[in-house]
Amino acid sequence: MLEIDGLRKRYGDKTALDGVGFTVRPGEMFGFVGANGAGKTTTMRIVMGVLGADSGEVRLDGRPLGYDDRRAFGYMPEERGLYQKMKVAEQIEYFGRLHGLAPAAARTATDALLERLGLVERRDDAVEALSLGNQQRVQLAVALVHEPTVLILDEPFSGLDPLAVDALAEVLKDRAAEGVPVIFSSHQLDLVERLCDSVGIISAGRMVAYGPVAELREREGRGVLRVVVRDAAPGWADGLPGRIAREGDRDVLLCEEGDDQAVLRTAMGAGTVEHFGRRQPTLTEIFREAVA
Amino acid sequence: MNGLLLVAQREVRTRIRTKSFLISLAISAILVAALAFLPKALGGDGTFDVGVVGPAPAPVTQLSYSRYPDEAAARKAVIGGDVDAALIGGDRVIANGELDQRLGLILESVHRDEQIRAAGVTVTPLRVESVGADARYQGVRTGIATLLVMVLFFLFIYSSMYVAMGVVEEKGSRIVEILLTSVRPWQLLGGKIVGLGVLGLVNLAVVVAAGLAASAATGFAADLPPGMGGIVVSALVWFVLGYAFFAVLAATFGSLVSRQEELNTVLTPMTTLMMLTYVTAYFAAVQPTGTVARVLSLVPPFSSMVMPVRTAATGVPLGEILIAVALMIVAVVGVLLFASRVYQRAVLRTGARVRLGEVLR
Repeated sequence: MLEIDGLRKRYGDKTALDGVGFTVRPGEMFGFVGANGAGKTTTMRIVMGVLGADSGEVRLDGRPLGYDDRRAFGYMPEERGLYQKMKVAEQIEYFGRLHGLAPAAARTATDALLERLGLVERRDDAVEALSLGNQQRVQLAVALVHEPTVLILDEPFSGLDPLAVDALAEVLKDRAAEGVPVIFSSHQLDLVERLCDSVGIISAGRMVAYGPVAELREREGRGVLRVVVRDAAPGWADGLPGRIAREGDRDVLLCEEGDDQAVLRTAMGAGTVEHFGRRQPTLTEIFREAVA
Repeated sequence: MNGLLLVAQREVRTRIRTKSFLISLAISAILVAALAFLPKALGGDGTFDVGVVGPAPAPVTQLSYSRYPDEAAARKAVIGGDVDAALIGGDRVIANGELDQRLGLILESVHRDEQIRAAGVTVTPLRVESVGADARYQGVRTGIATLLVMVLFFLFIYSSMYVAMGVVEEKGSRIVEILLTSVRPWQLLGGKIVGLGVLGLVNLAVVVAAGLAASAATGFAADLPPGMGGIVVSALVWFVLGYAFFAVLAATFGSLVSRQEELNTVLTPMTTLMMLTYVTAYFAAVQPTGTVARVLSLVPPFSSMVMPVRTAATGVPLGEILIAVALMIVAVVGVLLFASRVYQRAVLRTGARVRLGEVLR
């Protein structure tokens, strides 16, 4: 279990992190979202030891994180970095060796990743000859080659086409299924919603919302009732609390209060009820609200 | 240690495959070999070809004889330039225009010896004894020292530049963030310096081998002073020490910037120091026994070039060499301590140039 506890970081008189903390369990996929400059990258760099925190602590299974723990982590920094003139396979293998793999193990792991990420044909090309999307795949391979115990990925999906996103998502899910805690940041909230078990929203250096995705949606939905009725006469909902909007031949009613059973009865009397339920906000809506 | 070796191995493997490395290696070897051939090419081979008709005189080292059947054939050879002169019947010389003065003296002396020998008199040659210092090899030693200055300077500057460029490449591409989560800063920096140093050493060895092989091929090797082995070993040892000093400095200053274009500016203190060392070493090659050479051959980092040059140019007491080596090692440890403070803090601070003061605080 990876625990991030009360991280604080100041640059001069600017506060970058103001007590950031969350926990990622083994096998959990944690989506880290927030506006640009909110503190995601700073947090991840502190977790990786690239940056020192002013106060706070990062623990793995209850112990403060040390160099050897981090050496077993897989890290993809926000600013991509590869040796441009080095060949793809050679580069992945080199990073495997640096992380402590034996030569044969590094070669096997490299071959498996090249296969998995669709880079087999490019294995002997220099990185600079690759498209940006493919460079990103190599970057991911570099982060994964040593079978990391924890994955910290800063914006791994940015700049990828939908197919590459799916391939990458599959790889991450597999790693999580093997019990690896995965943290990734992203601006693609639909993706985070689809992939992650839990999310943390950071704004101006503070965690403003954090928890399992389903729980967050329920909590942030605040029990708004959503009713869709077809072929209803205009004015049918005049006596009910809430707002009504017309979409084609359907009326969509959103109620924040009132007796839901009474609403249902009125709706059934007015026309064909196509949908009736508590509305759950999307992550995007939760994000807008939390950050506002 | 393993991390350091891995990094070093990568540096060697990537650099050795580049065309620029192979080309510079070939060019430096060819240049040095050409310098060894130069005296011969400029001065000719020092022997004269003499056509002979009739009895041939006793062989001497400066003359090579070729026989001709009659005077007409010998004349033709002289006019055609096949021989420098022709000796007819042992007492007459044909030359094309004026006879070369040195050749004339040699022929005269050969002719005289023939007559003396015919008279049954034996002449013992003069023995020469020197009462001053052994100056026989002074010219050659100065030549070797001057060459060594250029080779060392070239190797120092280009190896250190590669180190600095490598540091900036890793910092600029942010790959250093990933690297430093898998190896420690000293392993990364040390591996880079060791790897590129091995290549520099290979280059130096190739240059020395090319020089020695070329001298052997031209017969110039016979003129090499005794103790050439010592000169070569001293050059290698001082290359290692000097390179360690300058490469660490180059890496340290390199870690302050994120772009290759900024490198020249930030390296100015180091290149200036290197130029000063080069200039003093050049003077030491010409005046190896002067006070300036003696003092600066002990003071780091000047000693890294002045001492090997002095060793090549003249004899240096072992005690002085040991003092110079000890002081240089102290200096290398000093820059290492400086580097460990600066590099570690500066290399992760990408963007604008980092000021030395900011990271030393």
